[in-house]
Amino acid sequence: MITAVVEAPIRRPLLPGVGGEKVVETRGLTKRYGTGIVAVDSLDLSVYRGEVYGFLGPNGAGKTTTLRMLLGLIRPSAGIATVAGAAPGSPASLSKVGAIVETPAFYPYMTGYDNLRLLATYCGVKRSRVDETLAEVELTPRAHHKFSTYSLGMKQRLGIAGALLKEPELLILDEPTNGLDPQGMADVRNLIIELGKGDRTVLISSHLLGEVELMCTRVGVIRKGKIVAEGTVDQLRGAATLAVRGTPEETAKAVLIDEAGAENVTALGDASFTVRVDLQRTAEINKHLVDAGVAVTELRADERSLEDIFMELTGTEGGL
Amino acid sequence: MFRGELFKVVRRPGIWVLISVLLVLAILIGYAITWLIYTYPPPGSNQGLPPGTTLADFKVALYPQNFVRQTLSQWGVLGGVFALIVGVLMQGSEYGWGTIKTLYTQRSGRLTMLFGKIAALAVVVAVMVVALFAVDAGASSLVALVDGKTISFPAADVIAKAIVAAFLIFGFWAIFGLALSTVFRQSAMAIGLGLAYALVVEVLIFGLLGGLGGDIVKKIQQWFPIANTSYLSESFGSIRVRGIQGQTTPYADATHAVVMLFLYVAAFTAITAYLTRTRDITA
Repeated sequence: MITAVVEAPIRRPLLPGVGGEKVVETRGLTKRYGTGIVAVDSLDLSVYRGEVYGFLGPNGAGKTTTLRMLLGLIRPSAGIATVAGAAPGSPASLSKVGAIVETPAFYPYMTGYDNLRLLATYCGVKRSRVDETLAEVELTPRAHHKFSTYSLGMKQRLGIAGALLKEPELLILDEPTNGLDPQGMADVRNLIIELGKGDRTVLISSHLLGEVELMCTRVGVIRKGKIVAEGTVDQLRGAATLAVRGTPEETAKAVLIDEAGAENVTALGDASFTVRVDLQRTAEINKHLVDAGVAVTELRADERSLEDIFMELTGTEGGL
Repeated sequence: MFRGELFKVVRRPGIWVLISVLLVLAILIGYAITWLIYTYPPPGSNQGLPPGTTLADFKVALYPQNFVRQTLSQWGVLGGVFALIVGVLMQGSEYGWGTIKTLYTQRSGRLTMLFGKIAALAVVVAVMVVALFAVDAGASSLVALVDGKTISFPAADVIAKAIVAAFLIFGFWAIFGLALSTVFRQSAMAIGLGLAYALVVEVLIFGLLGGLGGDIVKKIQQWFPIANTSYLSESFGSIRVRGIQGQTTPYADATHAVVMLFLYVAAFTAITAYLTRTRDITA
């Protein structure tokens, strides 16, 4: 198993990064069920103010259980957690957190507007926020239709509107694009990117790699209830390498070692090599190979996809 | 939280349909059909009655002076079933729709939410009871008018006490429904078991045990809820029909019944509160 904990990225000046303000922090968070199943196993997680944190893992990895524990819906068997400066599920914490857990759940016999009005009553926010959030998720034209008549995408947008009512410091979104068609996914994704632009912290769980890559500034990969890697997408991906194929093989190898050092050249056989080198030197390396009489048949940047990393870390196939 | 719960209830068609059905049944079963049978008795229907007594004599039960007794005796259990369903719907649907997680991720604590719901449920039950009494009062007046009888209602304090008693009975059923739906985290099982208890379990068990005779069965029965709803209803007296001897007094008095029903309400509230506070929400 690969465990790679890397520094948080600097997405905006003075904002996230190790040492920044932690909006979510868990230490040894564990959920064990009576059946002996350990859904979440000693999870240490830190999410910093202002970042869009992607909680990535295959189905059944423990993402939803973790998020439910952060919201106080599920009580941990062990460990501690702080969410928005208070205990998970406490009124002090919940007043600063907006959330969607799995599918958004509303009262089917009420309109979208009335559902949000109801939530506004529970949260103690002004009714004018209802109109504002409906506009924010572009649901105003359908606001006075019953929730039961909404499409999946509209339900998801209403869920996001409900989560935004409190103007929360922290948004927790569990698989926010689940079940949506490609257009709906794109809409919700763009909306989340917009929402993450301010000082707000967003914690998103997903098993969709492309989604996380597009939205998140930092990613934590969870497998069997444990974080197995954490960092920016680029950090997880690691440095790109140069793929080279050229003959004669020995000459090519000598040139590459001369250019990048023996420790950075890996021979793959069949006159192929990977070279850990600054990719800006690609043209220069190509010139030296040709000057040495090497016939270069392949020369390209070899970047590991997030899907490769995901599969490597979780032992599963990616969602996309 | 109370405001929020009331907001939901007022907009929920199912609750109003249920109350409307209860009121329609109160008129149909309690008065219209009964009046028709008493007025136009089928041949041979007087068999088994004491000499000189006819079905028409039973019409006295339909007149305003008896509407309180009539309402309590007829609807203590049957009306209670409607209250039970209201209680189940108000809580069980939250599990069915998954809205329980939406509720619990708002600002207030779980118990605050629960007590807001119980308060709203109390309002619905109060509306149900007052509407039932109003409908029965109206129906009994109409029957008296049709039969050319004087309209004479029981004293206001008797009516008020009866409404409070019915509120306690219906309240017990409603909180029983709320507790069942919390235990089972769904409506269907809660309604099924609630109905089974209301219509079969207690009645059947003590009905069969009653065949054994002796006081011991009644001594045990006095601690059970349906028996106590009956004691409370019967504490308002029984309807006197010409030629029929007055019924025996209830085994336990109204105070016993009120205390027992309060205890049941408190116990079911405590169970619901405990489960609400401690359970994981995985739906």
